[in-house]
Amino acid sequence: MTTIEVSETATLAVPIDRVWEVVSNTARYADWVHGVVEVTDDHGPATVGRTYSEVNKSVGPLTMRTTWTVREVDPQRTRVDTGVGLAPLQNFVNVFDFRANRDGGTEMTYTARYSVGLGPVGVILERLLRPGMRHGFQTSMRNLEDLITAEG
Amino acid sequence: MAAKLDVVVVGAGLAGLTAARTLTAAGRSVVVVEARDRVGGRTLNHDLGDGQVVEAGGQFVGPTQNHILKLAGDLGIDTVAANTVGDSVYVHAGRSRRFSGEIPPDLLALPDLALTMRRINQLAAQVRLDAPWKSPDAAKWDSMTFESWIRRNTVTTGGIDLVNVFLGSAYGGGAQDASLLFSLHYIAGMGDEDNPGTIERGIGNEGGAQESRFVGGSQLVSIRAAEQLDDRVVLGSAVRAIEQDATSLTVRTDDRSWAASHVIVAVPPALAARIAWNPLLPAQQDALFSRLTFGTLMKCEAVYDEPFWRQDGLSGQGVFRSGSPLCSMHDNTPPSGGPGVLMGFLGGAQWRRWAHRPPRERRAAVLRSFAEVAGRNALRPTDYFEQDWTTEEFTRGGPTAVAAPGTVTGFGEWRDRPFGRVHWAGAEHSDYWNGYMDGAVRSGKDAANAVLEQGD
Ligand SMILES: Cc1cc2nc3c(=O)[nH]c(=O)nc-3n(C[C@H](O)[C@H](O)[C@H](O)COP(=O)(O)OP(=O)(O)OC[C@H]3O[C@@H](n4cnc5c(N)ncnc54)[C@H](O)[C@@H]3O)c2cc1C
Repeated sequence: MTTIEVSETATLAVPIDRVWEVVSNTARYADWVHGVVEVTDDHGPATVGRTYSEVNKSVGPLTMRTTWTVREVDPQRTRVDTGVGLAPLQNFVNVFDFRANRDGGTEMTYTARYSVGLGPVGVILERLLRPGMRHGFQTSMRNLEDLITAEG
Repeated sequence: MAAKLDVVVVGAGLAGLTAARTLTAAGRSVVVVEARDRVGGRTLNHDLGDGQVVEAGGQFVGPTQNHILKLAGDLGIDTVAANTVGDSVYVHAGRSRRFSGEIPPDLLALPDLALTMRRINQLAAQVRLDAPWKSPDAAKWDSMTFESWIRRNTVTTGGIDLVNVFLGSAYGGGAQDASLLFSLHYIAGMGDEDNPGTIERGIGNEGGAQESRFVGGSQLVSIRAAEQLDDRVVLGSAVRAIEQDATSLTVRTDDRSWAASHVIVAVPPALAARIAWNPLLPAQQDALFSRLTFGTLMKCEAVYDEPFWRQDGLSGQGVFRSGSPLCSMHDNTPPSGGPGVLMGFLGGAQWRRWAHRPPRERRAAVLRSFAEVAGRNALRPTDYFEQDWTTEEFTRGGPTAVAAPGTVTGFGEWRDRPFGRVHWAGAEHSDYWNGYMDGAVRSGKDAANAVLEQGD
């Protein structure tokens, strides 16, 4: 099964330490990640090997329950999680990369890597979902910037 | 103990101060005993630091609220129209849409909302305002919540969601918290003796309950009333106990007591039930007052150099259909036109969700909601403050008390019934504008008149 990668980058006009602080809090994904309705189970600051669960928006009024395991924590650089419950997407890996820029802001890259199940139907579905996913990543990063700006 | 007074009034909110004014004008000797170090109760002016204020508690007044308007007029306080110039914004499912007028642009929800409002007005017209428990369908209406009735009569969730936008600030709760009968009575009272109450008047800006504000802030009404009462108002004195025999009463704080022929208790009902009564309150009255606890409501306000949203043709008013920490927001800029102030109501279920989050996280959520309505400049205020009424020892919630099913038919007749020489006042003791400043003033006059009628 081939692995698909969807990646979006944005410049956030907020400092990297604050970005890292918010992103590391597993209780806060409903505050900024597009499509997360609620975090139902969290473990506070992200810790390798531990999990957190969310309710995510799916198609229309439908929701899905996802559980994430933290795989890698490299402070102010990289965060890697794997997720289950995202059918038809499988082997889902979520990567956040960060780099401080010269203006005191943060370059953030939001990447998803996954394969597709459900045969041809899944492939069609994935193609339909992908633009929304890109838009969702950009919205999430904008939300993160707004949230940190508003926290003052 | 000093010489016996004609009347001790407990509580220096609008109700208590109005009662004291009426009694003083009738030549009675009165003392008003107030727990806080200030007057005004649920009205509170927040100092903007430049001699201007903004309201952190009750603030809006409108047509048919003749009693609070008359009191303010008598005290030389003017009203100013709340800002409605420009478009409002409706936020639903992450989308912000501008609209003009009072009705949010939600085509799917509107038929349900229109039908719900019409039916509410029809049923409210059948409620007996003076004795809702005697209304024709009282038992049926008091056996269900307002929400179960709305859901039964609507197809989409639009009706319930949009009614809850209003109740988020009006009840500090939602339609699931209140009985249908209580809610119909509450709406039936949104008028006066000549104009039957309607839900439109309750939710409306122009021609409705959010039409105007007081110049100098609503607390100024109480401050001026207290100034005229002078040393009859005793601050910083929480009444702990009230004893009564056939001819006399004793009102006790931690270190003082007053003897009086009559007492008017003008504190929120749930707090009246916490006073040590000797003899005990009648069990039904105690049960009623204990059940009339307040909703949960916080005002969140952000200050900006100027009301920047007005330049974009926006009124600063927003309606949030679920999903936001706020139910609604308003332009709370002082009448001078600056600084700009946005105010949001965080109430009911949203209060439960957000009140215990770290203040910084809540602030960000509120400002992002403001930004959905007023633009991203709203993310960077020069100042931000919150007034959470649940943390006020002598209020414990807000804006008012809401009765769950069974309360009005079971105990409603005890609401205003004098307990010997003790009379009751407060916004929760009014048939018209129950829970509002106008209701508070009406109840103060009614209680004072009841004392005068009772004689010595
Ligand atoms: C956030 C918020 C927004 C609101 N918005 C509006 C609005 O826009 N328009 C409107 O009309 N109404 C509004 N209201 C409601 C309005 O403020 C109240 O209905 C009104 O002010 C109540 O006046 P009151 O005198 O009945 O009671 P209160 O103002 O509660 O006064 C009771 C007084 O009794 C005192 N007290 C309590 N216990 C004791 C004790 N044991 N001994 C001595 N003193 C005691 C308290 O300190 C208080 O001063 C709002 C309320 C809140 C909280």
